[in-house]
Amino acid sequence: MSLVALSELLGASVRDASGTVRGRVREIAVAPQDHPTRIAFLIVRTSAGERVVPTSALRAFVPTVRAHSDAANWDRYAPSDGVLLLKRDLLDQQIIDVHGRKVVRVNDVEIDSTPVNSHLALNVVAVDVGARGAIRRLAKGIVPTFTLRALLDRIPPRVIPWQYVDLLETDPSRRVKLKIAYEGLSKLHPADIADIVEDLAPAEREAVFETIDEEVAAEALEELDPKVQVSIVESLDSDRAADIVEEMDPDAAADLLADLTEDHSGQILKEMQPEERQEVTQLLEFGERTAAGRMTTEFIAVPETAVVDDAIEALKKFEGSREALATIYLTGAGHRLVGSVPLVRIAISSPAAQLSDISEPYVACAPDTPQDEVAALFDKYNLLTLAVVDQHERLAGIITADDVITMLRHKD
Amino acid sequence: MDFRRWRTRLGLFLAVVGPGFITANVDNDAGGIYTYSLAGAQFGYSLLWTMIPITVALIVVQEMASRMGAVTGKGLSDLIREEFGFRVTFFLMLALVATNCGNVVANFAGVASSLELFGWSRYIVVPLAAVVVWLLIVQGTYRSVEKIFLAASAFYVCYIIAGLLAHPDWKAAAVATFSRPTTAGIRNYGYIVMVIGLVGTTIAPWMQFYLQASVVEKGITPRQYRASRWDVILGCFFTDIVAWFIIVACAATLYAKGQPDIKDAADAAEALRPLAGNWAYLLFAGGLFNASLFAASILPIPTSYAVCEGLGFESGLDKKFHEAPAFYWLYTLLIVAGAGVLLVPRFPLVHIIVVSQVVNGIVLPFVLVFMLLLANDRELMCAHINARRYNAVAWLTVVVMIALTPAMIITQLRNG
Repeated sequence: MSLVALSELLGASVRDASGTVRGRVREIAVAPQDHPTRIAFLIVRTSAGERVVPTSALRAFVPTVRAHSDAANWDRYAPSDGVLLLKRDLLDQQIIDVHGRKVVRVNDVEIDSTPVNSHLALNVVAVDVGARGAIRRLAKGIVPTFTLRALLDRIPPRVIPWQYVDLLETDPSRRVKLKIAYEGLSKLHPADIADIVEDLAPAEREAVFETIDEEVAAEALEELDPKVQVSIVESLDSDRAADIVEEMDPDAAADLLADLTEDHSGQILKEMQPEERQEVTQLLEFGERTAAGRMTTEFIAVPETAVVDDAIEALKKFEGSREALATIYLTGAGHRLVGSVPLVRIAISSPAAQLSDISEPYVACAPDTPQDEVAALFDKYNLLTLAVVDQHERLAGIITADDVITMLRHKD
Repeated sequence: MDFRRWRTRLGLFLAVVGPGFITANVDNDAGGIYTYSLAGAQFGYSLLWTMIPITVALIVVQEMASRMGAVTGKGLSDLIREEFGFRVTFFLMLALVATNCGNVVANFAGVASSLELFGWSRYIVVPLAAVVVWLLIVQGTYRSVEKIFLAASAFYVCYIIAGLLAHPDWKAAAVATFSRPTTAGIRNYGYIVMVIGLVGTTIAPWMQFYLQASVVEKGITPRQYRASRWDVILGCFFTDIVAWFIIVACAATLYAKGQPDIKDAADAAEALRPLAGNWAYLLFAGGLFNASLFAASILPIPTSYAVCEGLGFESGLDKKFHEAPAFYWLYTLLIVAGAGVLLVPRFPLVHIIVVSQVVNGIVLPFVLVFMLLLANDRELMCAHINARRYNAVAWLTVVVMIALTPAMIITQLRNG
């Protein structure tokens, strides 16, 4: 097996079975529907027009391409959406480096050629994003091949293995045909996804958010700058937007919807599930810079008569954010808030212990408390969560410490 | 008119104002101000007619850059790399760095000479200016920096006031603006050189890179684009009105009193003092300082952005130094080198600037042709490609610019 660079192949002369040069390589195509890495065919520019030479007809690859079929048998090339053209779609384009967690530009593509029986098996193995590919392309045709190869061998390679490459494609139907699903990207931490998304052009952001799993999309969206959130949600159709917004934390969802035009947020709300819609609409009614605007309505509350085991049961069923788990709230008659139990106390107490015995006095504020005072309460009492109670002292929601950090960092 | 609708429109406009206005104004940098002063001092009102075609050309080119930014969400060097390949991009970026390096030097020289009028030593002023510029960008965010830049743009008004103080012959100036050039003028070699200089100072390659990048950074979408276009148009008008007043101020004083020889923009301010009074002098000197510092802060940004985007290095002011080392090093180097050479005694400053102007001239046609090809690429621009009539004007502008370029290079080399 040997490695060949795409830039060396482009423009290389192609000989047919008779040994005569029939044309030059113009493109190299992969058909992801059939095989994710295998090169399906070359497009050769001949005097008679553009022809397709399948890899099964290739005998040798470097320094000249040799086919064991006659040029007369090469088919005419008909453009198709379903193939990945390495020069057009990959070379000089941006890709997502899933392993390095960033957006990079492709300088060259490395292709592996291995002889199999009578022909060659060609596979894309990596993309070159370093100086090696850059210098190769800069010097190609100016510096003699031999000298160039010797020079390039001394440059340490910076390549990304093909399995860590996620392509950016803005056309949805082409994305399906090329089997681009952003699987690698989806597995990253939402904050990393957000960083990557911020480096992309708007159409590409849209492509990512149309494709990845709703839950992942929601978490990544929460990590983005509010302005970018708005522009992404505006670009999606309201059906898809509603699917993502449903998965978001209700307070984050309410903040986002508050930034949209009324028309648009109305459309999204209409598409949402009734339960999530109600939560978000409630939050939307409060001012964004008050305790109620910052709180989430997903929290854990158990009756004051419950034991530790009941609290653990409630923890297991809880679907809200992990930050909200820090405290379990106790409610008495008429859903009035009577106490709070830190998660640590639950962990170190016996399963049968009464929650009311290990409960601590709670700290709470009213829904219209300004956000600065909320931050002051967190500071004063060293809180992880703060309860928000209505005029009847019923628990309306909680604010978590991570919300306060975000709030303090984006004060303007 | 319905007040509420009017207010919404104003809001839409204010949300996108900035990139076009700033870019057009930086165009009036130290070099530009000198060229306009010289045009007024040597030829009086007779070159004012150039302002109208220059404004049209400026609007056409800038509008394309900002439209491409809004539609594609990508910088100009990104697009050039994606459409025209690595090698072209590499050499274009190399040339861009060379010419902008010269521009940065010229503008730090403007800072130095404007403050030397007040008796401040360049050995204090230039390093100080360099540190201020560096900190501004490294510490600031796009939004805060944009506000400072907009304030700097507003400061150009001082040239308009200086023009008023010079008591020009308004009627003659107005007539000269709207009349065709005289044949006697066109036969004069110096006159032609000056026309070329005026056009050359107006459209520079870096502007297109900066404008498109800042439209992208501001997050302007195709839907907001109608408002953004006004940003470009008003910016170009304001810039050329300022230029018009500079020419008029010098024509009414230096030309009228027969003092056509000025060495640089600071010299023009000095020469104005006995003729138009202390206030005009102060305004000219202050205007030059503002313009030079403004341009020196802006020029390194698009250069670093364009190079890093085009060649695939990490870039962006929201990244940390170690996350985008190539970007910050290039940025720092441009400022250090640009300010540093002014502190070297007997440095061949004029030659550096001439060479950078020549490179500028060589790069410009390529950039303009690339822009036109990109702006007409349907796959890239979808429904926002150039309209047919608009395209005719755009191509005409580009052809004229390309034809003028060799002429400009030749005159530059002769003068240098």
